[in-house]
Amino acid sequence: MITSFLMRSFDRSILIAVAILVGLAMLVPALNLLTAPDHPLHVPTYLVSLFGKYLTYALLALALDLVWGFCGILSLGHAAFFALGGYAMGMYLMRQIGARGSYGNPLLPDFMVFLNWKELPWFWHGFDMFWFAALMVVLVPGLLAFVFGWFAFRSRVNGVYLSIITQAMTYALLLAFFRNDMGFGGNNGLTDFKDILGFNIQADGTRAALFAASALMLALCLILSSAIVRSKYGKVLVAVRDAESRTRFLGYRVEHIKLFAFTVSAMMAGIAGALYVPQVGIINPGEFEPGNSIEVVIWTAVGGRGTLIGPIVGAILVNGGKSIFTAAFPEFWLFALGGLFVLVTLFLPKGVVGTAGAYLARRRAQRKAQADQMPDNLAAEPMAAE
Amino acid sequence: MYRILQILFVALCLLISAHVVGSRAADDLGVLVDQLGAAKLSDMDDRIAALAKTGDAKVIPVLEALGEGELYQRKSDGKVFLVKAGGADLQLVDPVTGADAGATPKAAMQKVKVNNAVRRAVRSALGGLTLFSEDTGARLKAAQSMLQTPNADALEAIETAIAAEKDGSVRKVLVEARAVTLLVSDRPDDQKRQAIALLAEGNGRNGLAVLTSALATADVSLKPDIEAAIARIEQTQAFWSAGQNVWYGLSLGSVLLLAAIGLAITFGVMGIINMAHGEMVMLGAYTTFLVQEVVRNSYPELFDWSLAIALPLAFLVTGAVGLAIERGVIRFLYGRPLETLLATWGISLILQQSVRSIFGPTNREVGNPSWMSGAFDLGGLTITWNRLWIIVFALAVFAALLFLLKRTSMGLKMRAVTQNRRMASSMGIRTPWVDALTFALGSGIAGMAGVALSQIDNVSPNLGQGYIIDSFMVVVFGGVGNLWGTLVGAFSLGILNKFLEPYAGAVLGKILVLVLIILFIQKKPRGLFALKGRAVEA
Amino acid sequence: MTIKASLTGAFLAAVLSTTALNAAFAADDTIKVGILHSLSGTMAISETTLKDAMLMLIDEQNKKGGLLGKKLEAVVVDPASDWPLFAEKARELVSVDKVSAVFGCWTSVSRKSVLPVFEELNSILFYPVQYEGEESQRNVFYTGAAPNQQAIPAVDYLMANESVERWVLAGTDYVYPRTTNKILEAYLISKGVKPEDIMINYTPFGHSDWQTIVSDIKKFGSAGKKTAVVSTINGDANVPFYKELANQGVKAEDIPVVAFSVGEEELAGLDTGPLVGHLAAWNYFQSVDTPANAEFIKTWKAYTKNDKRVTNDPMEAHYIGFNMWLKAVEKAGTTDTDAVLDAMIGVSVPNLSGGYSTMMPNHHITKPVLIGEIQGDGQFETVWETPGLVVGDEWSDYLPDSKDLISDWRAPMSCGNFNVATGKCGGKGS
Repeated sequence: MITSFLMRSFDRSILIAVAILVGLAMLVPALNLLTAPDHPLHVPTYLVSLFGKYLTYALLALALDLVWGFCGILSLGHAAFFALGGYAMGMYLMRQIGARGSYGNPLLPDFMVFLNWKELPWFWHGFDMFWFAALMVVLVPGLLAFVFGWFAFRSRVNGVYLSIITQAMTYALLLAFFRNDMGFGGNNGLTDFKDILGFNIQADGTRAALFAASALMLALCLILSSAIVRSKYGKVLVAVRDAESRTRFLGYRVEHIKLFAFTVSAMMAGIAGALYVPQVGIINPGEFEPGNSIEVVIWTAVGGRGTLIGPIVGAILVNGGKSIFTAAFPEFWLFALGGLFVLVTLFLPKGVVGTAGAYLARRRAQRKAQADQMPDNLAAEPMAAE
Repeated sequence: MYRILQILFVALCLLISAHVVGSRAADDLGVLVDQLGAAKLSDMDDRIAALAKTGDAKVIPVLEALGEGELYQRKSDGKVFLVKAGGADLQLVDPVTGADAGATPKAAMQKVKVNNAVRRAVRSALGGLTLFSEDTGARLKAAQSMLQTPNADALEAIETAIAAEKDGSVRKVLVEARAVTLLVSDRPDDQKRQAIALLAEGNGRNGLAVLTSALATADVSLKPDIEAAIARIEQTQAFWSAGQNVWYGLSLGSVLLLAAIGLAITFGVMGIINMAHGEMVMLGAYTTFLVQEVVRNSYPELFDWSLAIALPLAFLVTGAVGLAIERGVIRFLYGRPLETLLATWGISLILQQSVRSIFGPTNREVGNPSWMSGAFDLGGLTITWNRLWIIVFALAVFAALLFLLKRTSMGLKMRAVTQNRRMASSMGIRTPWVDALTFALGSGIAGMAGVALSQIDNVSPNLGQGYIIDSFMVVVFGGVGNLWGTLVGAFSLGILNKFLEPYAGAVLGKILVLVLIILFIQKKPRGLFALKGRAVEA
Repeated sequence: MTIKASLTGAFLAAVLSTTALNAAFAADDTIKVGILHSLSGTMAISETTLKDAMLMLIDEQNKKGGLLGKKLEAVVVDPASDWPLFAEKARELVSVDKVSAVFGCWTSVSRKSVLPVFEELNSILFYPVQYEGEESQRNVFYTGAAPNQQAIPAVDYLMANESVERWVLAGTDYVYPRTTNKILEAYLISKGVKPEDIMINYTPFGHSDWQTIVSDIKKFGSAGKKTAVVSTINGDANVPFYKELANQGVKAEDIPVVAFSVGEEELAGLDTGPLVGHLAAWNYFQSVDTPANAEFIKTWKAYTKNDKRVTNDPMEAHYIGFNMWLKAVEKAGTTDTDAVLDAMIGVSVPNLSGGYSTMMPNHHITKPVLIGEIQGDGQFETVWETPGLVVGDEWSDYLPDSKDLISDWRAPMSCGNFNVATGKCGGKGS
């Protein structure tokens, strides 16, 4: 039964991707920690945290793809869930600093001390415990998505309207977190972390472990998404995307279906944020910036919307490009990035993975046709559904 | 009759006193003026007062130049000159005789230092000297400075001036100035009481300031009067402040309307999620900058017309850019609205960086023409000219656009194509051409908005970014595809914001508005003015 | 699948090869200097100038023969006003490009973002912008002003020369204005100003509609006492603020505005005619009349090939910081971080306002404080100047939790937050 579930849940591409991720999770830390720095196979710590960051972006893009690629909800506020997850983790890391802050206050983070806060605000309690923070990482974004989605989907807000109000949501959160009175450190956000679960956050070992955790978490979420997409529920999800009214008339509760996908996706985004923060060492309201959410959409589109592998590839490609270009052509990289977005939408509407998949499928079909000597073949459906 | 005699008498007195000391004064004046150059900033008050005391009309240009920072001291002999701006050399003018004193290189001269305290002293000295000027404008300025810096010594001069004044507006200010000055003088209480009553009638801030400070020093018997007057003024101000909020709201609304109205075409009518809209606004603002640059360098006398020249140019430039974007990119994306978002986001990045490469990342200076500077008072409201013109302009653009869409054949075609492309095409409309023109129109209007926004905001590559989200909110709140919705949406969001701001603060106010929009969309998922009928499902 | 695998493989290879390439260059006979200023995004408006200034300084130094017999080489990256990207780029500069020192950052948050990186990789950052203080880190040199080198002298000036009794503290809602205003509030109250005579107002970043706030300021200023505005309004929001002030007729003679974030660069986007007399407090103005400054301005205009380019205070901070670094490296004879850190303290170089600035043991520098009034040509005219140099005070004496802290990075103490009350390093030292 489990095997049959597994067989149903994955195709080959997912299995390979999961295998690669698990392989990376073991190989990269090993190459980083066990080889000498001048060894040809040595992976410098710089690259480990860089790719760890990309993997959390990939997870965020995967989360977005679940609602956009498979359910047709274009959320322009997914970075908000990511940031909320990040803040939950950041609050845990802040509490871990304890008395090692500049002022040596055992309870209050530095930014509260010099702004004369006398006691810890109520919502900071509990974050000294990892399990509580970890719970909040999924609960807070999940709850926000649930409440937001509950109202929006019930009122049948969809299409562009939904996109714009998700944008309004992240913009409102951006402004709110900028406020110093909110107690989240305002514009400076949360920073200067010391350790996580007792390990020094700057140690190579911790970085390697965080990389491995990101890779494994991405693999896990890939399995989960694949299971969702390939289940019966997943078929209805796609039906909602392609013909919402028709699905509703067939008797499905469209709003519940959407709400489930939206909430799961927000939780995944929250986890991505939580893994992101210890690797980059800062979380601040800039993460709520509406532009960031649009960028996530772009990663997904570049990789291939509606494929599960696509967003992962897209996130790594675009961010890798950004890393290289900002150093290689600091004055002109925006032209390259902007041009990339225009070209991809014009010439690769299915994204890199979608287009490549379609090309492969066509070739396979041709080969099969040649082998079978069949005059007419129905080219296999491209895996990216438009 | 008596009054005329009095005026004549005063004028005569002034003339005589000027004459009697005349010959002696020419030297004295020179010495006094030269002393300005040597003085420390803290001594300037006395030196200015000494100059003013001469009552000589020649002092006026000297003091004016001092206030403007056009008084220089020659390093070699310490003599002070008026300076007219000129190329590398300074054109010197003798302060006493007004004769041309030749040109000197800048290095040989040192500017007479001025700070706010000096400027204040100059202002009040000039007030006393120009109170009887021939020029109505100068008298008004003098009266206003008397009102702002009450000085008990000037009371009698003010009273004489009131008696002589014929111009109504100057007289009004003078009367108020007299009341204000009376309060700081040692006149009897009943006169003061009258003055208090007069100030209570008005709603000016100056009155309030004087009354509040008088409260601390005044006689016990006067205190209840002053308190009552303060309460009265505050009451009037509270009444006007509601009006003020409405005005500010309308003004903010007009800015939102301008920013959003182009988007109402490209996004509302055509369904393109045009993230490059803000950059069109920015290009319009940079066009204004370029026009002003050319005007400043070549035709400075046309400066007041620079905006009028920039408007059509901005429309053409951004319209052309819009046309290029539509032909080059967007026409391949019809029917895939969400993908237009990605492509136009890419375009917006490219446009921003291009402008940054060409014009540099820093702000560019766009000046206000004279008719857009300053403010006037309407009852208790202070209305700034630039805000007023922007409201007028926004409404004019709205009306023109409405006319274009509803009353011209081009507008008819645009509406036909966006409502049912295939049907329109069958009727012989060249739909691709109409699409291109519609997008160009929306972009061009954004460019014209940029001309207006350059008057109140930064002209920098980031200009557009600040407006894009607000514009989308306005269009969606008003109802996509409905121009009237955009109008009502913009003004209601503007006014709502301005009523929330005093209570919640600017940041929280904005957050509340966003939350209200989100809630409102739940209630009316298609905005304030939803399109009805089949078009909705398309 | 295979496509994906080969794609990532190719990509990894690409990244690795670029890093390998960079590493190969590092072995060359140059000393590398990292420049970490945003060239795109919201902060590009301020930071791009600093990048150009650094390139100019490095260029000039190379003309003079470089450093330790080697040429200097600038490594420019674009952190794109994105704070986590600042950390990533800092790491890249230090660990991939192997730069000897980094000059960079503008906002506090970008500095906070890169701090752990410099600490971990033990490299040097020069931070050129005025900031809120409350920090002293072993690997960072703060060449901009601390609050006592800008805010407090400005308030003193207004109290003494303009007899201001009523204060509006207006700022953008982020850490620098919040902290500065906390310090100023405590300072003003200690000088006998009544709490009801202080109005504090915060606005969001990029605030562009100032009508309500300017009219509130006018109202607050009509209470019969001389009123002044102390503005910590940041960057882009200043132009619309000043435009509104001018249009609503708030004159400097009546309600002067003293700003800590408005310099020549910001005024370049404004018609300053109606703003004459409003004030700014800095440690340098372009109008300062010294031979060194004239030379600097001339070089700058020639380097940018633009006669209208202005100079400003953070540029001077980089000028000082860069020269201090050169001197310290020469003194130490190496670019090795620990040696340079030791050599830096006590280094003294000429600044552009005619004196010498010295690096203090708390990693802040000594500077004169100048108060300038805005002129019609977009420049400032100095109307007041501290008689001597002011030492940057990293831990403010006017905040209850930081008044006992000092910082001294010299050998025996080597502590950024030494508590003089408990005699221990590390805040309360508990």
